[in-house]
Amino acid sequence: MDKNSPSLETHVASIRMKNPVMTASGTFGYGNEYADFIDLNQLGATVVKGITNVPWPGNPMQRIAETPSGMLNAIGLQNVGVDNFIEKKLPYLRNFEIPVIVNICGERLEEYEEVTEKLDGTHGVAAIELNISCPNLHCGGMSFGVDSKLTHQLVNAVREKTALPLLVKLSPNVTDITVIASAAADAGADGLSVINTLLGMAIDIKTRRPMLENVTGGLSGPAIKPIALRMVWQIYNTVKIPIIGMGGIMTRDDAIEFFIAGASAVAVGTANFVNPRAPLDIIDGIREYLEQNGITSIGALVGSLQT
Amino acid sequence: MQPYISDQPKKFDLVTKILANEQVAQDHYLLRCVCPEIAEGALPGQFVHVLISFESAMLLRRPFTIYSVEGDQITILYQLIGAGTEVLSHLSCGDLLHVMGPLGNSFRIPPNLDPAIVVGGGAGIASLMLHAAALRKLGVRTLGLVGSVNAARLLTVVDLEGIDVETHISTDDGSVGHHGFVTEVLTQILEQPQVHELHNPAIYACGPHGMLRAVAKISRTYRVPTQLAMENRMGCAMGVCLGCVCKIRTPDGGFEYQRVCTEGPVFDSEDIVW
Repeated sequence: MDKNSPSLETHVASIRMKNPVMTASGTFGYGNEYADFIDLNQLGATVVKGITNVPWPGNPMQRIAETPSGMLNAIGLQNVGVDNFIEKKLPYLRNFEIPVIVNICGERLEEYEEVTEKLDGTHGVAAIELNISCPNLHCGGMSFGVDSKLTHQLVNAVREKTALPLLVKLSPNVTDITVIASAAADAGADGLSVINTLLGMAIDIKTRRPMLENVTGGLSGPAIKPIALRMVWQIYNTVKIPIIGMGGIMTRDDAIEFFIAGASAVAVGTANFVNPRAPLDIIDGIREYLEQNGITSIGALVGSLQT
Repeated sequence: MQPYISDQPKKFDLVTKILANEQVAQDHYLLRCVCPEIAEGALPGQFVHVLISFESAMLLRRPFTIYSVEGDQITILYQLIGAGTEVLSHLSCGDLLHVMGPLGNSFRIPPNLDPAIVVGGGAGIASLMLHAAALRKLGVRTLGLVGSVNAARLLTVVDLEGIDVETHISTDDGSVGHHGFVTEVLTQILEQPQVHELHNPAIYACGPHGMLRAVAKISRTYRVPTQLAMENRMGCAMGVCLGCVCKIRTPDGGFEYQRVCTEGPVFDSEDIVW
Protein backbone atom coordinates (compact mmCIF):
# COMPACT_ATOMS: atom_id res chain seq x y z
CA MET A 1 0.00 0.00 0.00
CA ASP A 2 1.02 3.57 -0.71
CA LYS A 3 2.95 4.96 2.23
CA ASN A 4 0.98 8.20 2.03
CA SER A 5 -2.39 6.51 2.09
CA PRO A 6 -4.38 7.21 5.25
CA SER A 7 -4.26 4.84 8.19
CA LEU A 8 -7.43 2.90 8.81
CA GLU A 9 -6.01 1.07 11.80
CA THR A 10 -8.22 1.30 14.84
CA HIS A 11 -8.23 0.17 18.44
CA VAL A 12 -11.41 -0.49 20.34
CA ALA A 13 -10.17 -1.03 23.88
CA SER A 14 -7.42 -3.60 23.32
CA ILE A 15 -8.98 -5.01 20.14
CA ARG A 16 -6.64 -4.12 17.29
CA MET A 17 -8.27 -3.87 13.88
CA LYS A 18 -6.63 -3.06 10.56
CA ASN A 19 -9.69 -1.05 9.60
CA PRO A 20 -12.70 0.19 11.55
CA VAL A 21 -15.39 -1.90 9.85
CA MET A 22 -16.88 -5.04 11.39
CA THR A 23 -19.86 -7.17 10.57
CA ALA A 24 -22.70 -6.96 13.08
CA SER A 25 -23.92 -9.92 15.10
CA GLY A 26 -26.66 -11.99 13.49
CA THR A 27 -26.06 -10.60 10.01
CA PHE A 28 -22.94 -12.49 9.01
CA GLY A 29 -23.46 -15.94 10.54
CA TYR A 30 -20.22 -17.58 11.55
CA GLY A 31 -18.25 -16.16 8.60
CA ASN A 32 -18.11 -19.18 6.30
CA GLU A 33 -21.51 -18.34 4.76
CA TYR A 34 -19.98 -15.37 2.95
CA ALA A 35 -16.81 -17.10 1.75
CA ASP A 36 -17.85 -16.91 -1.91
CA PHE A 37 -18.11 -13.13 -1.72
CA ILE A 38 -15.69 -11.86 0.89
CA ASP A 39 -12.14 -12.53 2.03
CA LEU A 40 -12.71 -12.33 5.77
CA ASN A 41 -9.14 -11.11 6.23
CA GLN A 42 -10.15 -7.80 4.68
CA LEU A 43 -12.62 -7.03 7.48
CA GLY A 44 -11.71 -5.06 10.58
CA ALA A 45 -13.39 -7.70 12.74
CA THR A 46 -16.41 -9.95 12.75
CA VAL A 47 -19.04 -10.33 15.44
CA VAL A 48 -20.68 -13.74 15.34
CA LYS A 49 -24.35 -14.59 15.82
CA GLY A 50 -25.52 -14.42 19.43
CA ILE A 51 -24.56 -17.49 21.46
CA THR A 52 -26.29 -18.92 24.50
CA ASN A 53 -25.24 -21.59 27.01
CA VAL A 54 -27.37 -24.28 25.32
CA PRO A 55 -28.73 -24.42 21.74
CA TRP A 56 -31.89 -22.37 21.25
CA PRO A 57 -34.57 -23.36 18.71
CA GLY A 58 -35.71 -19.79 17.97
CA ASN A 59 -39.18 -18.40 17.40
CA PRO A 60 -41.93 -19.87 15.17
CA MET A 61 -42.46 -18.54 11.65
CA GLN A 62 -43.09 -15.86 10.36
CA ARG A 63 -39.90 -14.32 11.61
CA ILE A 64 -39.21 -11.40 9.29
CA ALA A 65 -41.08 -8.68 7.44
CA GLU A 66 -39.94 -5.87 5.17
CA THR A 67 -40.95 -2.36 6.20
CA PRO A 68 -40.21 1.00 4.55
CA SER A 69 -36.40 1.33 4.37
CA GLY A 70 -36.00 -1.46 6.86
CA MET A 71 -37.02 -4.86 8.13
CA LEU A 72 -38.42 -6.39 11.27
CA ASN A 73 -37.07 -9.60 12.72
CA ALA A 74 -38.10 -11.83 15.56
CA ILE A 75 -35.67 -14.72 15.15
CA GLY A 76 -35.50 -15.41 18.85
CA LEU A 77 -31.76 -16.05 18.94
CA GLN A 78 -31.79 -19.45 17.25
CA ASN A 79 -28.22 -20.63 17.75
CA VAL A 80 -26.07 -23.72 18.14
CA GLY A 81 -25.08 -23.06 21.76
CA VAL A 82 -21.63 -22.21 23.10
CA ASP A 83 -20.20 -25.77 23.08
CA ASN A 84 -21.11 -26.37 19.43
CA PHE A 85 -19.86 -22.91 18.58
CA ILE A 86 -16.43 -23.62 20.05
CA GLU A 87 -16.24 -27.11 18.57
CA LYS A 88 -17.79 -26.61 15.12
CA LYS A 89 -17.83 -22.92 14.18
CA LEU A 90 -14.78 -21.34 15.77
CA PRO A 91 -12.16 -23.57 14.04
CA TYR A 92 -13.11 -22.07 10.66
CA LEU A 93 -12.77 -18.53 12.00
CA ARG A 94 -9.31 -19.34 13.42
CA ASN A 95 -8.08 -19.57 9.81
CA PHE A 96 -8.28 -15.80 9.57
CA GLU A 97 -6.23 -13.03 11.11
CA ILE A 98 -9.12 -10.82 12.13
CA PRO A 99 -10.47 -10.43 15.66
CA VAL A 100 -13.51 -12.62 16.31
CA ILE A 101 -15.93 -11.02 18.72
CA VAL A 102 -18.49 -13.36 20.25
CA ASN A 103 -21.94 -11.97 20.99
CA ILE A 104 -23.48 -13.69 24.01
CA CYS A 105 -26.98 -13.71 25.42
CA GLY A 106 -29.05 -15.39 28.08
CA GLU A 107 -32.28 -15.34 29.99
CA ARG A 108 -30.62 -15.23 33.39
CA LEU A 109 -27.43 -13.64 34.71
CA GLU A 110 -25.93 -17.07 35.46
CA GLU A 111 -26.28 -18.06 31.80
CA TYR A 112 -24.21 -15.06 30.71
CA GLU A 113 -21.58 -16.03 33.29
CA GLU A 114 -21.53 -19.63 32.12
CA VAL A 115 -21.04 -18.72 28.45
CA THR A 116 -18.35 -16.22 29.39
CA GLU A 117 -16.44 -18.80 31.42
CA LYS A 118 -16.45 -21.17 28.45
CA LEU A 119 -15.23 -18.52 26.03
CA ASP A 120 -12.61 -17.05 28.35
CA GLY A 121 -9.25 -18.47 27.40
CA THR A 122 -10.61 -20.14 24.27
CA HIS A 123 -8.15 -19.69 21.44
CA GLY A 124 -9.56 -17.49 18.70
CA VAL A 125 -11.93 -15.38 20.78
CA ALA A 126 -10.77 -11.74 20.73
CA ALA A 127 -13.58 -10.18 22.72
CA ILE A 128 -17.08 -10.66 24.10
CA GLU A 129 -20.06 -8.57 23.11
CA LEU A 130 -22.71 -8.70 25.79
CA ASN A 131 -26.16 -8.67 24.22
CA ILE A 132 -28.45 -6.95 26.71
CA SER A 133 -30.70 -5.67 23.98
CA CYS A 134 -32.34 -8.51 22.06
CA PRO A 135 -35.99 -7.42 21.85
CA ASN A 136 -37.33 -10.86 20.95
CA LEU A 137 -36.92 -12.77 24.20
CA HIS A 138 -39.61 -13.03 26.81
CA CYS A 139 -37.08 -12.78 29.58
CA GLY A 140 -33.40 -11.87 29.62
CA GLY A 141 -31.98 -10.04 26.62
CA MET A 142 -33.41 -6.57 26.47
CA SER A 143 -34.89 -6.68 29.94
CA PHE A 144 -31.33 -6.24 31.28
CA GLY A 145 -30.58 -3.42 28.87
CA VAL A 146 -33.51 -1.17 29.72
CA ASP A 147 -32.66 -1.01 33.42
CA SER A 148 -29.46 0.71 34.53
CA LYS A 149 -29.19 -1.27 37.79
CA LEU A 150 -29.59 -4.62 36.03
CA THR A 151 -27.13 -3.49 33.35
CA HIS A 152 -24.56 -2.63 36.02
CA GLN A 153 -25.12 -5.90 37.84
CA LEU A 154 -24.81 -8.03 34.69
CA VAL A 155 -21.77 -6.25 33.25
CA ASN A 156 -20.09 -6.39 36.63
CA ALA A 157 -20.77 -10.13 36.98
CA VAL A 158 -19.46 -10.95 33.50
CA ARG A 159 -16.48 -8.61 33.99
CA GLU A 160 -15.37 -10.76 36.91
CA LYS A 161 -15.41 -13.88 34.76
CA THR A 162 -13.09 -12.72 32.01
CA ALA A 163 -10.10 -10.59 31.14
CA LEU A 164 -11.19 -10.45 27.49
CA PRO A 165 -12.24 -7.06 26.17
CA LEU A 166 -15.90 -6.66 27.04
CA LEU A 167 -18.26 -4.79 24.75
CA VAL A 168 -21.86 -4.13 25.72
CA LYS A 169 -24.51 -3.89 23.02
CA LEU A 170 -27.10 -1.34 24.04
CA SER A 171 -30.81 -1.20 23.38
CA PRO A 172 -32.30 1.95 21.86
CA ASN A 173 -35.63 1.10 23.49
CA VAL A 174 -34.95 3.32 26.50
CA THR A 175 -35.79 6.84 27.63
CA ASP A 176 -32.17 7.95 28.05
CA ILE A 177 -29.49 5.73 26.58
CA THR A 178 -26.68 7.68 28.29
CA VAL A 179 -27.86 6.39 31.67
CA ILE A 180 -27.48 2.77 30.53
CA ALA A 181 -24.20 3.57 28.78
CA SER A 182 -22.80 5.09 31.97
CA ALA A 183 -23.93 2.09 34.02
CA ALA A 184 -22.16 -0.29 31.62
CA ALA A 185 -18.99 1.80 31.63
CA ASP A 186 -18.97 2.07 35.43
CA ALA A 187 -19.33 -1.70 35.72
CA GLY A 188 -16.22 -2.28 33.64
CA ALA A 189 -17.27 -2.40 29.99
CA ASP A 190 -14.39 -1.71 27.59
CA GLY A 191 -16.60 -0.49 24.75
CA LEU A 192 -20.19 0.01 23.69
CA SER A 193 -22.01 -1.29 20.61
CA VAL A 194 -24.65 1.28 19.71
CA ILE A 195 -27.41 0.34 18.78
CA ASN A 196 -29.36 -2.91 18.63
CA THR A 197 -32.75 -2.97 16.87
CA LEU A 198 -35.76 -0.84 17.75
CA LEU A 199 -38.90 -2.61 18.87
CA GLY A 200 -41.55 -2.38 16.16
CA MET A 201 -44.42 -4.15 14.47
CA ALA A 202 -46.31 -4.47 11.19
CA ILE A 203 -49.82 -5.72 10.40
CA ASP A 204 -51.35 -7.49 7.42
CA ILE A 205 -54.55 -5.50 6.92
CA LYS A 206 -56.20 -8.25 4.86
CA THR A 207 -56.03 -10.82 7.65
CA ARG A 208 -55.61 -8.32 10.53
CA ARG A 209 -52.84 -10.54 11.75
CA PRO A 210 -49.37 -9.35 12.76
CA MET A 211 -46.72 -9.80 10.06
CA LEU A 212 -44.58 -11.56 12.68
CA GLU A 213 -45.75 -14.56 14.69
CA ASN A 214 -44.06 -12.94 17.70
CA VAL A 215 -46.25 -9.85 17.02
CA THR A 216 -43.36 -7.47 17.69
CA GLY A 217 -39.81 -7.57 16.38
CA GLY A 218 -36.61 -5.61 16.02
CA LEU A 219 -36.43 -2.93 13.33
CA SER A 220 -33.16 -2.57 11.43
CA GLY A 221 -31.96 -1.00 8.21
CA PRO A 222 -31.71 2.59 6.93
CA ALA A 223 -34.95 3.51 8.72
CA ILE A 224 -33.14 3.50 12.09
CA LYS A 225 -29.92 5.27 11.09
CA PRO A 226 -30.84 8.76 12.31
CA ILE A 227 -31.74 7.36 15.73
CA ALA A 228 -28.55 5.31 15.95
CA LEU A 229 -26.48 8.32 14.98
CA ARG A 230 -28.16 10.50 17.60
CA MET A 231 -27.50 7.90 20.29
CA VAL A 232 -23.82 7.53 19.32
CA TRP A 233 -23.48 11.30 19.58
CA GLN A 234 -25.20 11.43 22.98
CA ILE A 235 -23.05 8.64 24.39
CA TYR A 236 -19.84 10.09 22.92
CA ASN A 237 -20.54 13.22 24.91
CA THR A 238 -21.22 11.33 28.13
CA VAL A 239 -19.02 8.26 28.37
CA LYS A 240 -15.32 7.97 27.66
CA ILE A 241 -15.05 4.35 26.47
CA PRO A 242 -14.97 3.64 22.71
CA ILE A 243 -18.17 3.28 20.72
CA ILE A 244 -18.86 0.92 17.84
CA GLY A 245 -21.58 2.60 15.81
CA MET A 246 -24.23 0.57 14.01
CA GLY A 247 -27.77 0.88 12.78
CA GLY A 248 -28.70 1.12 9.11
CA ILE A 249 -25.20 1.57 7.68
CA MET A 250 -25.51 0.78 3.98
CA THR A 251 -22.84 2.97 2.40
CA ARG A 252 -19.54 4.73 2.97
CA ASP A 253 -21.35 8.00 3.68
CA ASP A 254 -23.44 6.36 6.39
CA ALA A 255 -20.29 5.02 8.05
CA ILE A 256 -18.52 8.40 7.85
CA GLU A 257 -21.44 10.03 9.67
CA PHE A 258 -21.00 7.60 12.54
CA PHE A 259 -17.27 8.36 12.87
CA ILE A 260 -17.97 12.09 12.90
CA ALA A 261 -20.62 11.53 15.60
CA GLY A 262 -18.06 9.77 17.78
CA ALA A 263 -17.84 6.09 16.83
CA SER A 264 -14.32 4.60 16.83
CA ALA A 265 -15.49 1.76 14.62
CA VAL A 266 -18.67 0.78 12.82
CA ALA A 267 -20.54 -2.46 12.22
CA VAL A 268 -22.40 -3.29 9.03
CA GLY A 269 -25.54 -5.33 9.65
CA THR A 270 -28.68 -5.51 7.54
CA ALA A 271 -26.72 -4.27 4.50
CA ASN A 272 -25.07 -7.72 4.38
CA PHE A 273 -28.46 -9.20 3.48
CA VAL A 274 -28.73 -6.98 0.43
CA ASN A 275 -25.13 -6.63 -0.72
CA PRO A 276 -22.72 -9.32 0.45
CA ARG A 277 -19.80 -7.07 -0.43
CA ALA A 278 -21.15 -4.10 1.56
CA PRO A 279 -18.46 -4.15 4.30
CA LEU A 280 -15.64 -4.20 1.73
CA ASP A 281 -17.25 -1.45 -0.35
CA ILE A 282 -17.51 0.64 2.81
CA ILE A 283 -13.86 0.02 3.77
CA ASP A 284 -12.73 1.14 0.29
CA GLY A 285 -15.05 4.13 0.52
CA ILE A 286 -13.69 5.24 3.89
CA ARG A 287 -10.13 5.14 2.57
CA GLU A 288 -11.19 7.19 -0.43
CA TYR A 289 -12.99 9.75 1.77
CA LEU A 290 -9.94 10.19 4.00
CA GLU A 291 -7.69 10.65 0.97
CA GLN A 292 -10.04 13.13 -0.68
CA ASN A 293 -10.30 15.17 2.49
CA GLY A 294 -6.61 15.05 3.42
CA ILE A 295 -7.27 13.21 6.67
CA THR A 296 -4.29 11.06 7.64
CA SER A 297 -6.00 8.61 9.99
CA ILE A 298 -9.46 7.44 10.84
CA GLY A 299 -8.86 8.48 14.45
CA ALA A 300 -8.78 12.12 13.38
CA LEU A 301 -12.33 11.82 12.12
CA VAL A 302 -13.78 10.32 15.30
CA GLY A 303 -15.98 12.80 17.15
CA SER A 304 -15.07 15.62 14.76
CA LEU A 305 -18.62 16.97 14.55
CA GLN A 306 -18.60 20.74 14.09
CA THR A 307 -21.32 22.31 16.18
CA MET B 1 -32.01 -40.78 -3.32
CA GLN B 2 -29.25 -38.88 -5.04
CA PRO B 3 -28.76 -35.16 -5.45
CA TYR B 4 -27.74 -33.93 -8.88
CA ILE B 5 -24.32 -33.25 -7.39
CA SER B 6 -23.04 -33.63 -3.86
CA ASP B 7 -21.77 -30.13 -3.08
CA GLN B 8 -23.50 -26.83 -3.34
CA PRO B 9 -21.90 -24.92 -6.19
CA LYS B 10 -20.22 -21.59 -5.73
CA LYS B 11 -22.50 -18.57 -5.43
CA PHE B 12 -22.23 -15.46 -7.59
CA ASP B 13 -23.68 -11.96 -7.37
CA LEU B 14 -24.01 -10.58 -10.88
CA VAL B 15 -25.15 -7.27 -12.27
CA THR B 16 -27.09 -8.01 -15.40
CA LYS B 17 -29.36 -6.36 -17.94
CA ILE B 18 -32.88 -7.61 -18.49
CA LEU B 19 -33.26 -9.19 -21.94
CA ALA B 20 -37.01 -9.77 -21.78
CA ASN B 21 -39.77 -9.34 -19.20
CA GLU B 22 -43.08 -10.43 -20.68
CA GLN B 23 -46.50 -11.25 -19.35
CA VAL B 24 -47.22 -14.94 -19.96
CA ALA B 25 -50.54 -15.24 -18.13
CA GLN B 26 -52.79 -13.07 -16.02
CA ASP B 27 -50.58 -11.59 -13.23
CA HIS B 28 -47.61 -13.74 -14.28
CA TYR B 29 -44.40 -12.70 -16.04
CA LEU B 30 -41.34 -14.42 -17.49
CA LEU B 31 -38.06 -12.55 -17.11
CA ARG B 32 -34.90 -13.43 -19.00
CA CYS B 33 -31.37 -12.23 -18.28
CA VAL B 34 -27.76 -13.17 -18.98
CA CYS B 35 -26.12 -14.80 -15.93
CA PRO B 36 -23.35 -17.06 -17.26
CA GLU B 37 -21.89 -18.25 -13.95
CA ILE B 38 -25.32 -18.90 -12.46
CA ALA B 39 -26.58 -20.64 -15.60
CA GLU B 40 -23.54 -22.91 -15.55
CA GLY B 41 -24.00 -24.09 -11.98
CA ALA B 42 -27.78 -24.03 -11.62
CA LEU B 43 -29.53 -27.21 -10.46
CA PRO B 44 -33.26 -27.99 -10.56
CA GLY B 45 -34.96 -26.54 -7.49
CA GLN B 46 -32.37 -23.84 -6.91
CA PHE B 47 -33.21 -20.16 -6.84
CA VAL B 48 -31.76 -16.70 -7.34
CA HIS B 49 -32.02 -13.72 -4.98
CA VAL B 50 -32.81 -10.59 -6.94
CA LEU B 51 -32.29 -6.95 -5.99
CA ILE B 52 -35.11 -5.23 -7.83
CA SER B 53 -34.86 -1.66 -6.56
CA PHE B 54 -31.70 0.29 -5.84
CA GLU B 55 -33.64 2.63 -3.57
CA SER B 56 -33.45 1.76 0.11
CA ALA B 57 -37.22 2.24 0.53
CA MET B 58 -37.69 -1.33 -0.69
CA LEU B 59 -34.75 -2.82 1.08
CA LEU B 60 -34.59 -6.55 0.59
CA ARG B 61 -33.96 -8.82 -2.37
CA ARG B 62 -36.64 -11.23 -3.61
CA PRO B 63 -36.13 -14.98 -4.14
CA PHE B 64 -37.24 -16.61 -7.42
CA THR B 65 -36.77 -20.18 -8.58
CA ILE B 66 -34.74 -20.60 -11.74
CA TYR B 67 -37.38 -21.53 -14.31
CA SER B 68 -35.10 -22.42 -17.21
CA VAL B 69 -31.49 -22.29 -18.30
CA GLU B 70 -30.55 -21.73 -21.92
CA GLY B 71 -26.87 -21.27 -22.65
CA ASP B 72 -25.67 -18.38 -20.54
CA GLN B 73 -29.20 -17.15 -19.83
CA ILE B 74 -31.66 -17.92 -17.08
CA THR B 75 -35.35 -17.16 -16.81
CA ILE B 76 -37.56 -16.65 -13.80
CA LEU B 77 -41.35 -17.00 -13.83
CA TYR B 78 -43.03 -14.78 -11.24
CA GLN B 79 -46.46 -13.81 -10.01
CA LEU B 80 -47.51 -10.31 -9.02
CA ILE B 81 -47.95 -10.67 -5.29
CA GLY B 82 -46.68 -7.45 -3.74
CA ALA B 83 -44.72 -4.25 -4.10
CA GLY B 84 -41.51 -6.02 -5.20
CA THR B 85 -42.99 -8.02 -8.05
CA GLU B 86 -45.06 -4.98 -9.06
CA VAL B 87 -41.86 -2.94 -9.54
CA LEU B 88 -40.20 -5.89 -11.27
CA SER B 89 -43.05 -6.20 -13.76
CA HIS B 90 -42.51 -2.59 -14.84
CA LEU B 91 -38.82 -3.04 -15.63
CA SER B 92 -37.85 -3.12 -19.30
CA CYS B 93 -35.20 -4.58 -21.53
CA GLY B 94 -31.84 -3.07 -20.62
CA ASP B 95 -32.76 -2.26 -17.01
CA LEU B 96 -30.28 -3.54 -14.42
CA LEU B 97 -30.79 -6.21 -11.78
CA HIS B 98 -28.47 -7.70 -9.18
CA VAL B 99 -28.91 -11.46 -9.37
CA MET B 100 -27.32 -13.73 -6.75
CA GLY B 101 -27.20 -17.47 -7.17
CA PRO B 102 -27.48 -20.31 -7.62
CA LEU B 103 -28.82 -20.80 -4.08
CA GLY B 104 -30.26 -23.64 -2.04
CA ASN B 105 -30.32 -27.39 -2.51
CA SER B 106 -31.89 -29.31 -5.38
CA PHE B 107 -34.35 -32.11 -6.05
CA ARG B 108 -33.06 -35.67 -5.74
CA ILE B 109 -33.76 -38.55 -8.10
CA PRO B 110 -34.29 -42.03 -6.64
CA PRO B 111 -32.92 -45.01 -8.62
CA ASN B 112 -35.30 -46.54 -11.15
CA LEU B 113 -37.77 -43.69 -10.83
CA ASP B 114 -40.88 -44.39 -12.95
CA PRO B 115 -42.73 -42.13 -13.26
CA ALA B 116 -41.93 -38.75 -11.72
CA ILE B 117 -45.10 -36.86 -10.79
CA VAL B 118 -44.58 -33.10 -10.63
CA VAL B 119 -47.40 -31.20 -8.96
CA GLY B 120 -47.55 -27.42 -9.22
CA GLY B 121 -50.11 -25.09 -7.72
CA GLY B 122 -50.21 -21.62 -9.30
CA ALA B 123 -46.74 -20.14 -9.73
CA GLY B 124 -45.38 -23.16 -7.84
CA ILE B 125 -45.02 -24.99 -11.12
CA ALA B 126 -42.15 -22.59 -11.87
CA SER B 127 -40.02 -24.45 -9.31
CA LEU B 128 -40.56 -27.75 -11.11
CA MET B 129 -39.92 -26.91 -14.75
CA LEU B 130 -36.13 -27.22 -14.67
CA HIS B 131 -36.47 -30.51 -12.82
CA ALA B 132 -39.01 -31.84 -15.30
CA ALA B 133 -36.66 -30.93 -18.14
CA ALA B 134 -33.74 -32.70 -16.44
CA LEU B 135 -35.86 -35.80 -15.78
CA ARG B 136 -36.96 -35.95 -19.40
CA LYS B 137 -33.34 -35.67 -20.54
CA LEU B 138 -32.57 -38.67 -18.34
CA GLY B 139 -35.44 -40.48 -20.06
CA VAL B 140 -37.63 -40.57 -16.95
CA ARG B 141 -41.36 -40.71 -17.72
CA THR B 142 -42.91 -37.63 -16.15
CA LEU B 143 -46.48 -36.63 -15.33
CA GLY B 144 -47.17 -32.92 -14.87
CA LEU B 145 -50.12 -31.88 -12.71
CA VAL B 146 -50.73 -28.18 -13.18
CA GLY B 147 -53.26 -26.40 -10.99
CA SER B 148 -54.49 -22.86 -11.45
CA VAL B 149 -57.22 -20.51 -10.30
CA ASN B 150 -58.57 -20.26 -13.84
CA ALA B 151 -57.61 -20.67 -17.50
CA ALA B 152 -56.26 -17.10 -17.70
CA ARG B 153 -53.65 -17.85 -15.05
CA LEU B 154 -52.63 -21.25 -16.32
CA LEU B 155 -48.85 -21.59 -16.64
CA THR B 156 -46.20 -23.70 -18.37
CA VAL B 157 -48.48 -26.29 -19.95
CA VAL B 158 -47.02 -25.65 -23.41
CA ASP B 159 -43.47 -25.87 -22.03
CA LEU B 160 -44.22 -29.15 -20.27
CA GLU B 161 -45.90 -30.68 -23.29
CA GLY B 162 -42.93 -29.55 -25.40
CA ILE B 163 -40.68 -31.90 -23.44
CA ASP B 164 -43.18 -34.77 -23.55
CA VAL B 165 -44.50 -34.43 -20.03
CA GLU B 166 -47.97 -35.95 -19.75
CA THR B 167 -49.91 -32.96 -18.39
CA HIS B 168 -53.10 -32.93 -16.33
CA ILE B 169 -54.72 -29.55 -15.87
CA SER B 170 -57.03 -28.47 -13.09
CA THR B 171 -58.64 -25.11 -12.36
CA ASP B 172 -60.53 -23.88 -9.33
CA ASP B 173 -63.35 -22.53 -11.51
CA GLY B 174 -63.39 -25.38 -14.03
CA SER B 175 -62.63 -23.07 -16.95
CA VAL B 176 -60.17 -25.67 -18.25
CA GLY B 177 -59.29 -29.24 -17.23
CA HIS B 178 -60.49 -30.83 -14.00
CA HIS B 179 -62.84 -28.59 -12.02
CA GLY B 180 -61.19 -28.53 -8.61
CA PHE B 181 -57.83 -28.75 -6.90
CA VAL B 182 -54.67 -30.20 -8.37
CA THR B 183 -54.45 -32.44 -5.31
CA GLU B 184 -57.70 -34.14 -6.38
CA VAL B 185 -56.06 -35.04 -9.69
CA LEU B 186 -53.08 -36.39 -7.76
CA THR B 187 -55.36 -38.63 -5.70
CA GLN B 188 -57.15 -39.88 -8.83
CA ILE B 189 -53.84 -40.87 -10.39
CA LEU B 190 -52.55 -42.59 -7.27
CA GLU B 191 -55.88 -44.50 -7.03
CA GLN B 192 -55.18 -46.08 -10.42
CA PRO B 193 -51.58 -47.31 -10.29
CA GLN B 194 -52.13 -49.83 -13.13
CA VAL B 195 -53.73 -47.32 -15.48
CA HIS B 196 -50.91 -44.83 -14.95
CA GLU B 197 -48.20 -47.50 -14.73
CA LEU B 198 -46.91 -46.30 -11.37
CA HIS B 199 -44.00 -48.74 -11.04
CA ASN B 200 -41.72 -46.74 -8.78
CA PRO B 201 -43.22 -43.26 -8.52
CA ALA B 202 -42.03 -40.17 -6.68
CA ILE B 203 -43.84 -36.88 -6.22
CA TYR B 204 -42.27 -33.43 -6.53
CA ALA B 205 -44.49 -30.51 -5.53
CA CYS B 206 -44.47 -26.77 -5.10
CA GLY B 207 -47.31 -24.36 -4.46
CA PRO B 208 -49.34 -22.66 -1.73
CA HIS B 209 -48.84 -23.87 1.84
CA GLY B 210 -52.29 -25.49 2.06
CA MET B 211 -51.73 -27.39 -1.18
CA LEU B 212 -48.36 -28.71 -0.04
CA ARG B 213 -49.86 -29.81 3.22
CA ALA B 214 -52.54 -31.70 1.28
CA VAL B 215 -49.87 -33.27 -0.97
CA ALA B 216 -47.95 -34.40 2.12
CA LYS B 217 -51.08 -36.08 3.49
CA ILE B 218 -51.87 -37.80 0.19
CA SER B 219 -48.30 -39.02 -0.25
CA ARG B 220 -48.39 -40.53 3.23
CA THR B 221 -51.67 -42.30 2.48
CA TYR B 222 -50.37 -43.79 -0.78
CA ARG B 223 -46.79 -44.23 0.52
CA VAL B 224 -45.14 -42.38 -2.32
CA PRO B 225 -41.79 -40.68 -1.58
CA THR B 226 -42.32 -36.95 -1.94
CA GLN B 227 -40.13 -33.89 -2.08
CA LEU B 228 -41.58 -30.44 -1.53
CA ALA B 229 -40.04 -27.14 -2.60
CA MET B 230 -40.89 -24.80 0.27
CA GLU B 231 -41.23 -21.03 0.09
CA ASN B 232 -41.00 -18.40 2.78
CA ARG B 233 -40.28 -14.73 3.25
CA MET B 234 -36.54 -14.42 2.89
CA GLY B 235 -33.99 -11.97 4.20
CA CYS B 236 -30.42 -12.76 3.20
CA ALA B 237 -30.75 -16.11 1.33
CA MET B 238 -27.19 -16.71 2.56
CA GLY B 239 -28.17 -18.69 5.63
CA VAL B 240 -27.32 -16.02 8.19
CA CYS B 241 -30.50 -14.14 9.05
CA LEU B 242 -32.50 -17.28 9.96
CA GLY B 243 -35.67 -15.57 8.76
CA CYS B 244 -36.89 -18.15 6.22
CA VAL B 245 -37.08 -21.24 8.39
CA CYS B 246 -39.25 -24.34 8.07
CA LYS B 247 -40.13 -26.70 10.95
CA ILE B 248 -38.31 -30.01 10.41
CA ARG B 249 -38.59 -33.26 12.37
CA THR B 250 -35.44 -34.46 14.15
CA PRO B 251 -34.53 -38.13 14.82
CA ASP B 252 -35.10 -37.72 18.56
CA GLY B 253 -38.80 -37.04 17.94
CA GLY B 254 -38.47 -33.29 18.32
CA PHE B 255 -38.09 -30.62 15.70
CA GLU B 256 -35.73 -27.87 14.62
CA TYR B 257 -36.06 -24.83 12.41
CA GLN B 258 -34.11 -25.31 9.20
CA ARG B 259 -33.39 -22.62 6.66
CA VAL B 260 -35.39 -22.74 3.42
CA CYS B 261 -32.51 -20.88 1.72
CA THR B 262 -29.77 -23.29 2.78
CA GLU B 263 -31.01 -26.70 3.96
CA GLY B 264 -33.93 -26.21 1.50
CA PRO B 265 -35.85 -25.17 -0.44
CA VAL B 266 -36.40 -28.88 -1.17
CA PHE B 267 -37.35 -31.02 1.83
CA ASP B 268 -38.59 -34.58 2.12
CA SER B 269 -42.30 -34.35 2.77
CA GLU B 270 -42.02 -36.79 5.69
CA ASP B 271 -39.62 -34.46 7.52
CA ILE B 272 -41.86 -31.41 7.56
CA VAL B 273 -43.86 -30.59 10.69
CA TRP B 274 -47.06 -28.84 9.58
